[in-house]
Parts: sequence; structure tokens; C-alpha cells
Amino acid sequence: MAALLKERREFLQNLRIYLLSSGKKEEETEEIVGELEDHLYEAEKHGKSVQDIIGQSPKAYMEQLAGEMPFDYKNLLIYVPLILIGLICYNILNKAVEGVFSYSLLEAVGDIVITLIGLGLIIVLFKYVASSKLSKISEGLLFYGGSLTPIILLVALTYLDRAVDSPMIHLGLVWRILAVALACLFLIGIAIWAKTWVSIIIPFLSLSPELVLNQTGMQETSKTVLSTVITFLGLGIYIFIVFKRERKKETKIL
Amino acid sequence: MSSSQILKGILEGCLLSVISKGEIYGYEMIEKLSTYGFTMVSEGSIYPLLIRMRKEGLVTTRSKKLPSGGPKRKYYSLTEQGKEELDSFKQKWRVISDSVNQLMEDD
Repeated sequence: MAALLKERREFLQNLRIYLLSSGKKEEETEEIVGELEDHLYEAEKHGKSVQDIIGQSPKAYMEQLAGEMPFDYKNLLIYVPLILIGLICYNILNKAVEGVFSYSLLEAVGDIVITLIGLGLIIVLFKYVASSKLSKISEGLLFYGGSLTPIILLVALTYLDRAVDSPMIHLGLVWRILAVALACLFLIGIAIWAKTWVSIIIPFLSLSPELVLNQTGMQETSKTVLSTVITFLGLGIYIFIVFKRERKKETKIL
Repeated sequence: MSSSQILKGILEGCLLSVISKGEIYGYEMIEKLSTYGFTMVSEGSIYPLLIRMRKEGLVTTRSKKLPSGGPKRKYYSLTEQGKEELDSFKQKWRVISDSVNQLMEDD
């Protein structure tokens, strides 16, 4: 019985991830996941497994369901620009903390392209992992490789930017203030609109330690080490709290 | 047309018939179908079909809370269009099954 329960939970979770990363509406996704949960729960009482019910590979079954559900372009049109602008805002703030207000055109365009590649990669990975039975190790390796790719590309971009001359954009004082203010406003706006703290907490945790330590007369190296430690500690606590909360929600549903 | 497509068409007709007897949810449909010996399709295969039938306006759904708590249960019922579709399926089926039966009896 416990094995069936575990199999059901895993299947439903994977189905949810698969449909959402296939661009299906959240509402419709929850509806079909809820309906299948009801069915699988009833079937479980008669000792039937997920495999007995779907009668084919999970991937084939998920594809069949997804094939009947319309693609939600509205979601894509809202979220992709939102995430992009959010990341640009973060970039502006990140540079502002370091006191840098000039951007090379190559870097600015490259950042956007790499961000798009990274987003695409995440979606493809989630879909793939949710629909195929992979070991935890290969799952981890895939996500590791997936998150490493944009970082490698960013490093490559930095070197390319040094080697190639591209037009520079310099911001004057008024534009600096405006850019920082707009970036902050936008990140707060995302937080309010999407009802999430992520867009405030992550920039705050990663930027504020450096900003505060810059005011002290501390040495450069110890400043870097200390601000990194504070950032990671903060992120760790934040992720722990979010994880705990999600766990609680999940046990309430099932 | 592959055999699975033919089966899908038949399954759709049977689902229309089962739903026409009154509001019903997925697991109950399967139980009804299996009492008639309809076991050649996997249970899960009714859900992609039900999604399509709702899209085509043949059925409507309503979520009801269970007295025992837990997740809501989704109930299906036929629309006017669904009733018409069922009638046309019945006619088509009669023609097909009559001719196939006659052919087989001649063997």
C-alpha cells in the first residue's frame, strides 16, 4: 500500500511539472491532476497501481493528456518578459553596488540572450525529467549541467567583452538614480503582482551585505568573504523556510 | 485509421451513453464500463477523451465537495449537443455492427 501511495504521489507531481512546463494553464493542470488523483486513490483501494491505470509509459500518457490541452500563450507572453526585465533590474542593482554605471552593448545584449537560453534550457529539462524515469543521480547531473551552462556562457561573455570593442553606454547622475529607482520599483512590483518574496529577497540578500560592508573601512578580501558568507547563509535560511512551508501545504492536500 | 483510433471512437460513444444516464465521475464511468465487459482500454485513457469532449461542448463538468473531505470530485453531464452526438453514434453503430455481424455469421 505504501509503495502504491508513493508511486501515485510521484506520478501526479511529475504530471503537474510536465503540463506546467509544456505551457498549459495552471487552472486546467490542477483540474486534471486533481481528477486523476481521485481516480488513482479509488483504484488504489482495489490494489491497482499507476501503471495499471495509465496502461502505457508515463511519458506517452502525459503527452496524450497534454495533446488535448491548449497551449497558454498568455502565460508565456507575461512570464518571459517579466523574468527578463527582473534579471536586467538585478543586473543594474548589482553593478550599482559596485559603483559601475557603464555598460558595453555587447555585454547588455549577451546577458539577455544568455538569460533566454537559460530559461529555455530549464523548461526543456523539467519536461524531460518529469516524463522519463531517471535515477536521482542522472537527474541531478542534468540539472547541474543545465544550471552550469548559462554560468559558463556568462564567463565566456566577460572574456569576449574584454577582447572585442563594442559601444559603451555611460549613465549620468540623473540616469543613475533613475535606473536604480526603476529597478527597485520593478522588483517590488513583481513581488506584489506575483505574491512572492523571491524578487525582493534574492536581490536584497545578495546585494545588501556588500553595500553595508562598503561603508566600513574593511579590507577588500575580508569584505568579499564576509558578504559571500552572509549571502549564502541568508539564502540557505530562506530556502529552508520555503521548503518547510511547501511541505506543510503538500501534506494538507494529500 | 489505426485500431486504436477506431477504439477511441467507440469509447467516446460508450462514454456519451454512460454519462447520459445521469451525472457521473471518472472512476464510476470505468466501473460501469467494466460491468459491460468493456476492458480493452486502460482506465486512464478516458481522461484525454473527456478533456476533448468537454472542449467540443459535448459534456459539462461540475466539482462537488466530498462529504468525507479531501479533493473535490469532478462530475460530468451531457449537453444538448452531447445528446445529439449520442443519437448519431447509436445510428452509425447500428449500421456498422449489423453489417459486421452479418458478415461474420456468413463465415
